[in-house]
Amino acid sequence: MVEEVRDKARELLSAGTVECVIGYERATDGITARPLFAYSPEEADRFILDRTCVHNLARYLLDRKGKPTAVVVKPCDSRTINLLVHENQIERDKVFAIGVTCPGVVEAHWGETTEGLQSRCGSCPLEVPVVYDHLITVPGERQPRTGFPELEKLEAMSPQERLEFWQQQFQRCIRCYACRQVCPGCYCPICFVDQLDPMWVGIKIAPPENQVWHLIRAFHLAGRCIECGECQRVCPVNIPLMLLNQKLTAEVEGMFDFRPGLDAETLPPFATFRKEELEAER
Amino acid sequence: MVKVGVFLCHCGRNISEVVDVPRVAEAVRHLPGVTYVDENKYMCSEPGQAAIRQAITEHGLTRVVVASCSPRMHEITFRRAAAQAGLNPYLVEMANLREHCSWVHADDHEAATLKAIELVKKAVARISYNEPLTPQPIPMTRRALVIGGGIAGIQAALDIAAAGHQVTLVERESTIGGRMAQLDKTFPTLDCSSCILTPKMVEVAQNPNIELLTYSEVESVSGFVGSFEVQIRKRATLVDHVKCTGCGICWEKCPEKVPSEFDLARGKRSSIYIPFPQAVPVKPVVDQVHCRYIKYQEFEASGAEGKKPPQCRICEKLCPPQALAWDQEDEAVTEKFGAIVVATGYDPFDPTVYGEFGYGQYPDVITGLELERLLSASGPTEGHVLRPSDGTPPKTVVFLSCIGSRDEERGKAYCSQICCMYMAKHAIVLKEHDPEVQSYIFYIDNRAVGKGYEEFSRRAQEDAGAVYLRGRVAKVFPQDGKLVVMGEDSLIGRQVEIAADMVVLAAAVVPSRGADEVARMLNISYDSDHFLVEAHPKLRPVETHTDGVFLAGACVSPCDVPQSVSRGSAAAAKTLALLSKETLVGEPTTAVVDALRCSGCQLCLEVCPFNAISTQVVAGRTVASVNEGLCKGCGLCSAVCRPAAIGVKGSTHKQLLAEVASLWT
Amino acid sequence: MDMNGGPRIVGFLCNWCSYAGADMAGTSRMSYPPNIRIIRVPCSGRVDPLLVVKSFQQGADGVLVAGCHPGDCHYTEGNYYARRRFALLRPLLDFVGIEQERLRLEWVSASEGRKFSRAVASFQEELERLGPRGHRG
Repeated sequence: MVEEVRDKARELLSAGTVECVIGYERATDGITARPLFAYSPEEADRFILDRTCVHNLARYLLDRKGKPTAVVVKPCDSRTINLLVHENQIERDKVFAIGVTCPGVVEAHWGETTEGLQSRCGSCPLEVPVVYDHLITVPGERQPRTGFPELEKLEAMSPQERLEFWQQQFQRCIRCYACRQVCPGCYCPICFVDQLDPMWVGIKIAPPENQVWHLIRAFHLAGRCIECGECQRVCPVNIPLMLLNQKLTAEVEGMFDFRPGLDAETLPPFATFRKEELEAER
Repeated sequence: MVKVGVFLCHCGRNISEVVDVPRVAEAVRHLPGVTYVDENKYMCSEPGQAAIRQAITEHGLTRVVVASCSPRMHEITFRRAAAQAGLNPYLVEMANLREHCSWVHADDHEAATLKAIELVKKAVARISYNEPLTPQPIPMTRRALVIGGGIAGIQAALDIAAAGHQVTLVERESTIGGRMAQLDKTFPTLDCSSCILTPKMVEVAQNPNIELLTYSEVESVSGFVGSFEVQIRKRATLVDHVKCTGCGICWEKCPEKVPSEFDLARGKRSSIYIPFPQAVPVKPVVDQVHCRYIKYQEFEASGAEGKKPPQCRICEKLCPPQALAWDQEDEAVTEKFGAIVVATGYDPFDPTVYGEFGYGQYPDVITGLELERLLSASGPTEGHVLRPSDGTPPKTVVFLSCIGSRDEERGKAYCSQICCMYMAKHAIVLKEHDPEVQSYIFYIDNRAVGKGYEEFSRRAQEDAGAVYLRGRVAKVFPQDGKLVVMGEDSLIGRQVEIAADMVVLAAAVVPSRGADEVARMLNISYDSDHFLVEAHPKLRPVETHTDGVFLAGACVSPCDVPQSVSRGSAAAAKTLALLSKETLVGEPTTAVVDALRCSGCQLCLEVCPFNAISTQVVAGRTVASVNEGLCKGCGLCSAVCRPAAIGVKGSTHKQLLAEVASLWT
Repeated sequence: MDMNGGPRIVGFLCNWCSYAGADMAGTSRMSYPPNIRIIRVPCSGRVDPLLVVKSFQQGADGVLVAGCHPGDCHYTEGNYYARRRFALLRPLLDFVGIEQERLRLEWVSASEGRKFSRAVASFQEELERLGPRGHRG
């Protein structure tokens, strides 16, 4: 399985099919994984593939626009390719997708990994990537689908309790924007939050301003979030950002029967409408 | 540094009675940017406007806030005043202290005054982000379209043509003439309706500036003032109208007689027909539902077993110029127009909802329009009023007013305007036809407000001896060959029972079937009764909120013939004002892209209703680009743009955000 | 500053139908609570979610977005997009503790002055029932 990744990478780089293969290598902590950009067949020996390979590498395709690139994609990551093709950010024919099937990934932070899988894997609708040019099958039982249990827990609370929950979360936000930097859907040249004219969000790092940031960040991903969970993984203060995304994922699926990135053609919810809909939801 | 002048209007006492205007003036005097504050009793008056102009010049104002009425009322007035003083008109904003404040908070002067202060603050906050805008020229297609060939549409088309402009008149029936053609006489002059209408219909057919498309319907409209692209479907008539001479052999000899729509099913017509003898054009159409040969063809095509219907084709055999064209198909044409007049007219309200009057159940209960057909010399009874049940002349006729009008529960809340007068007319005309006729008119209020109308109403009572009974009728039922009308004379508070030979219902006027579809195509609004909505009920009665679309006739509200003609001419005048120009000045409030911020996701392309956005490559990046000629400034693009790269001039992010930020601070 | 007492409402009204409907309420003297601040926009479809969120941050107790009835949009379809947008924004707001009742979408035509005044009054009642927002911001 690991060898298959290395072989494919070597082959693509030797033949000149791509200039770069993006995959995973072992981080210097010896436990977790980190991205590897291989430009030569020799570098391909360093690729690894296991349950610590949590990163969504397809995000890096945004930095390699127009350049033939191969990328290792898990099922969730593969939805990125459809999203970015649909949104005219990358060209499909410049991407060689090395798809890997996925039984789920673990929580991996510097120097430590968990035994159990990430909670978001429970709501993942896929086992096989939606886009690939070469498929590698990873053995292992996929964990049973759990839906969005944490989401349901929060939804069961009263508005006041939810308010308090989120106020506590937003209070801790240091507005480092790591969640945005890592997000494959956040590719605007100048993010609204960085704009000074007009200034949409005050620069004060306080709950009211932070809330505007988090609400709009989430809303800008409504009908677009491909559930890779990277925003939450990189948050230095552990704000459960995926809850906001999952809330909208569930609403979008319920209202419009749409889940982003499963193909590159279906119009996302904000690009279309039906005349007879939603009068009850108003 | 902006210098904002704030001009507070008292609007007579409309504002100042509720809002403490001097207090507002004091409160806004020291707002950032405000360098001048003035009050005036009537800001919109010439002295008021002069004060604005003078202040702009003398105090070097760079922005003007007028706190008065709704911008929908006077924005244009104040923009013009500013322009006269050399200030770009888009540097004017209004605070709506009348419609949105004094008129709705009259019971709380304190709250209204505080709100007024905030509304002015909001406008001041917004205006520092206003930018001077320059309108784009729009080329004018100097041709007009008139939808609907009733008297209003005919008048509009004739007036436009008389001014030397090309006009296309589209009518969905096979003849023009509309409702007026169905009338016998018109009140209050008792002119024969067709005698005064027919010459106008003929003039339409003969005027070289008018293209007449009957049996045709508007299918879609795109574009905007100056260049509407209109798709018109010409329905197949199955008769070659170039060859046809209108000799009439076909409709005389056609053996398949069916109820005539024109005679409201009170008479018959052939399956190849003209609706009435004076039809324009005098060219028949084949009714594809009833024609025997069409039925024969359908039977053959279906491959069904059994007895074949007759082939017929008598019309074809007898037609001297061989004009039958059985394989003719609908034809769709697309034409370009600079302006459009909508004159879709009205339909009579269906009185069957009033089951107690027995319409549809008792043959001698008819509507006013049906009586017109019975009175008409070209109608099914050749002008002899006879009871549908037994063909005898009625001697006692009872009229019931407000059938569907002024009845919010079962009909419409509004007054249909024409019924009181046509009931009087019917009483007079029936008496002229047969001196033995006695008319009874049950009325709610006798409304006779036009020129000569009150006199006419008197004539019905005094000369024609019509008995006016104020009150509603409870029930109509048959008894011994008569219709018993049970009602109340509320003036003397007594039950009345009349044994009538005929009962005539004054059915309400409702908008023509399909008028709402036309409205949707044209992006104009209609009210809850589906009457089309004018731009302003008093001051812009034939204009709409879509530039270049005008309204004529009863599509706006119930009206009689003279009013339809006036509205037709008024709509023509508005149309001509446009057609007289080679270019128009467009709204400069279009979308604009900041290429540096655009991510190139192209979501805006998907949502733009006008296909006004495309892409272009700027510095190696593909970004959105707006065609200002097509953009209408709706801002859909702006609201879906995540990096706020598209803004709408006049409704920019900065302006709206400043308004929000000004609140409660 | 809560100058007038009572819940504070920001109303984004489309120029063609709802702003005219509010004018009609004025012309017809159909009074309603004075705590609404109306911002005129070309179309309900113009209302960016950011403007709604900013209004709440500014201290609004409720946000009203009003546009032409479905099928009647001056720009043909702007209100349909608005309907989708706010159908999704409401549950998101609710999820972070801003009750979804605080964001209202209403269809008000140019002739519906009464509907407008009633909508403002009933929104005010609803907001009074909900009470002040837990935390401003």
